[in-house]
Amino acid sequence: MSGSIAPLVGFLAAAVRIGTPLLWAAAGEVLAERAGVINLSVEGSMLAGCLGAAIGAHASGNPWVGMAAGLVAGAIIALGFAAVAIWARTDQIIAGTALTMASVGVTGLIYRQATSGQVTGLSVITLEPLAIPGLHSIPLLGPVLFAQPLPTYLVGGAVLFIWFVLYRTTLGLRLRAAGEAAGAARAHGVRVRLIQTGAVVVGGALAGFGGATLVLAQVGTFAERMTAGRGFIAIAIVVLGRWHPAGIALAALLFGAATALQYVFQAMALAVPYQFFLMLPYLLALAALTGVAGRVRAPAGLGRTVD
Amino acid sequence: MSRVLELESISKRFGSVAALESVSFDLVLGEVHGLLGENGAGKSTLMHVAFGMIAADAGRVIVRGVPTRFRSPRDAKRLGVGMVHQHFTSVPEMTVAENLWLAAGRYGAEAGRRSDSSTVTTAGSRLRRRLWEGLAPNDIVSSLPVGAKQRLEILQALAVGGDILLLDEPTAVLAPQETSELLALLRDFANGGGAVVLITHKLTEVFSIVDRVTVLRAGRVQSTGPVAGQTVSGLTAAMVGTADREPTVETSDSLGPVLARVDGLAVRGREVVGVAAIEGNGQRDLLRRMAGVLPAAGAEVIEPVAFIPEDRSTEGLIPALSLTENWVLGLAGDARWRRGPLLDWRAAEARMDQVLGEYSIRAGGPQAPAGTLSGGNQQKLIFARALEAAPRVIVAENPTRGLDVHATWFVQERLRRAAAAGAAVVVYSSDLDEVLSLATRLVVISRRRVLQVPPGASREAIGAMMIGATS
Repeated sequence: MSGSIAPLVGFLAAAVRIGTPLLWAAAGEVLAERAGVINLSVEGSMLAGCLGAAIGAHASGNPWVGMAAGLVAGAIIALGFAAVAIWARTDQIIAGTALTMASVGVTGLIYRQATSGQVTGLSVITLEPLAIPGLHSIPLLGPVLFAQPLPTYLVGGAVLFIWFVLYRTTLGLRLRAAGEAAGAARAHGVRVRLIQTGAVVVGGALAGFGGATLVLAQVGTFAERMTAGRGFIAIAIVVLGRWHPAGIALAALLFGAATALQYVFQAMALAVPYQFFLMLPYLLALAALTGVAGRVRAPAGLGRTVD
Repeated sequence: MSRVLELESISKRFGSVAALESVSFDLVLGEVHGLLGENGAGKSTLMHVAFGMIAADAGRVIVRGVPTRFRSPRDAKRLGVGMVHQHFTSVPEMTVAENLWLAAGRYGAEAGRRSDSSTVTTAGSRLRRRLWEGLAPNDIVSSLPVGAKQRLEILQALAVGGDILLLDEPTAVLAPQETSELLALLRDFANGGGAVVLITHKLTEVFSIVDRVTVLRAGRVQSTGPVAGQTVSGLTAAMVGTADREPTVETSDSLGPVLARVDGLAVRGREVVGVAAIEGNGQRDLLRRMAGVLPAAGAEVIEPVAFIPEDRSTEGLIPALSLTENWVLGLAGDARWRRGPLLDWRAAEARMDQVLGEYSIRAGGPQAPAGTLSGGNQQKLIFARALEAAPRVIVAENPTRGLDVHATWFVQERLRRAAAAGAAVVVYSSDLDEVLSLATRLVVISRRRVLQVPPGASREAIGAMMIGATS
C-alpha cells in the first residue's frame, strides 16, 4: 500500500466502522417505520444492547455471548414500547421517549450494581477485524470494506435480507400496507397490530445488536449513556435514506464519515476548536430531518395509533 | 338450488345502539340478492358479519351448510367469500399488482389474471378479464380514475377466487355506463355459478338485475322475497316506512343576478345549473375554482360560497372530533356561538342537536365522535353544515352519492329550496338522471370546455355532447 493513500484508507475504514452500529439501528427502525410505527425507543434499545453486550461478554469471556445478550436486551426494550404504544395505544412519541429515558436509568442502575463501586468497569474481549482472504488486498476497497469486524459484514447481509422481505415477500407487503393504510390492510385480513409488534420487536433486537457492536467492536467497555444519541441519529438516517434499505446503508456511511471526519481534522491540528467537528453528525441529522435531503414521503400511516 | 351462505338470527349491538336484531338472511347459487335499506339500517354491518370483519353477539354463519366461525376476513376468503367495501380498500401508494397480492395474501396471484384454477368459475375468469380493461399491473393506484379503482376493488375481492361476492354499494362511485356494465358483469358472474349480494340504494338496479330482495329497516328484516311482483313504492315504503314523496318547491322562472362566473360558466340566482360530464373532463377543477378551493384568475363569485365535495371522508369531517366540534369547525364565525375569542359550546351543541333532528341524522348525540356515524349520515351532516351559513352560491359534487332514497330526496329538496330562496346552485353528478331531475339549466363539460345544452335536448344528444361527438 502506498503511503499517500493511507490517511484516506484510515478515514474510510473508520467511516465504515462507525457507521456499522448506526446501520444496525437504522435497519431496525426502517422495519418499524415501514409498518407505521415511529419508534423513539430505538435509542433505549441501543443502550440496553450496549450494557447487555458488556455484561454478557464480561461474564462469559466470549464476545458472541455478549452480542446475543445485546440483541435480547434491545428486544426487551422494544417489547415494552410495543406494549405501551401499540397495545395500550399511547402516543408513539411519548411512549418512545419514556422507554428511552427508562432505559438510561435502568442501564445505569444495573451497571453500578454489576460493578459495585469498582473503578475498572466491565472489561471485555473485543471482536477483532476479520480480513477476508483475497478481497482485503484489493487496493483502497480491500482495507476499507474487507478488513472489518464480523458485525460489519453481517449488517450488509441484514440490510439485503430486509430489502428482500419488504419487497419480495407477502409478509413485507402486509407490513408496508399496515404502514400506509391500516384500514385497507385490515380489510384484507392483515393483523395490523400484530405485524407492527413484530416489526418493532425485531427492530429493537437489531438496535440492541448495534449497541453490542459499539461495545464489542469499537469501544471495548460500557459507560453510562454511551450511545449519546446514536439511536436518534439512526432515525435521521432512516429519513435521509428515504425509508429504503439501500438508502439507509448509504446514509449510515455518510454519518459514519461525518463522525470520522473529526479525527482527520483533529489530526490536521486546525485552528478550529475540535468541539465543532464533534457537532458534525448532529448537524447532519438536523439537516436530514429538516428536509435538505429533498422532498421525501414518509409512510402515510407513520406515527398513527391503530385501533 | 343450494344455499351457499346462511345467516341465522344475527344480533349485534354497538354500545347502546342495536345495529342488528335477530336478522336472518340466505343466499343461493346463481342469484343476485339485493340488500336494501336506509343509511344505518344495518346492511353493511350484516355483510361485515358474513365477511368475518365483525363478530356477531348472537346467531350463526353457515357457509355451504357448514356452521363456521370467522375470526377474520382471511377465514372468509378461504371459504370463497369476497367483499367489495363501501370505502376503497386499496393502498393508494402501491401498485395494482401489489394491491392484488395483498388481497390474495400470496405471491403469484399478483397479476390477478391467473389464480388457483380449482376455485375460479368460468364466469369468474370472464368477469376478471373484463375488469382488467384499462388497468395495468404497474399502475400506482392513487393515479387511477375512480371507476378503475372500483374495478380494482372487485378484482381484489376475487383475488383468492371465490364464488360468493358481497358488494357494498359498488355503483355509488360509478358513471352511468360503468354502472350498467358492472351490473351486467355481476349478472353474468351469478349465471356462471356464482352468488352475489348487492347492497344498493338505487331501485333501478334492483329491478334490472336482482333476483331476490331483502329490505332492512333499523336492524330488522322488513321483507324478503323475489323481486318479481314488487313495486318501487312498495320497496320504498318497506325501507322508509312512508310512501314516495314529490318535490314540493316549484323553481321560479324569474332568475336573479349572476352570482358566480368562472371559466365561461355563469350562474344566476334562483337557478340550478346541472353539470353533466364524463369523468376526467375538467369538471372537478372547475367546481373547485368556483368554490374557491382552487385558485382561479378572473373568477367572480359572491360570498359566502358553500362547497359540498365528492369525497366527504377526506375533505369533510374529522372522525375523532365530536359532531359539535366538527360543526363549529366550519362555522366558527357564527354569531350564535362566537363570543370574541371564546366559543359558547352550549349554544353550538343546542343547534347541533336541532340539526340532527331536522336532517334526521342517526347519531348518538351532539357529543358522539363524527367517526361513529355511518357514511350516509356523515354526508348529511356535511350537507347541513354547508347550508347553515346561508350561502349565496352552492357548489355540489355528487351530493347524493351513497345516500338512500329518503336522504337523496331530502338533499335534492334542500338544494331546490336554496335556489328558490335566491341562491345560485351548481350541481355536478355522475348520475345523469339526477342532473336531469334537479337542473333548471344544463351544461356539459367536455375536454375542459363548457357547452350549453339547448332546452329539451334528448338524453342521446346530451350523451353525444359528453363524449365530444358534437360541438
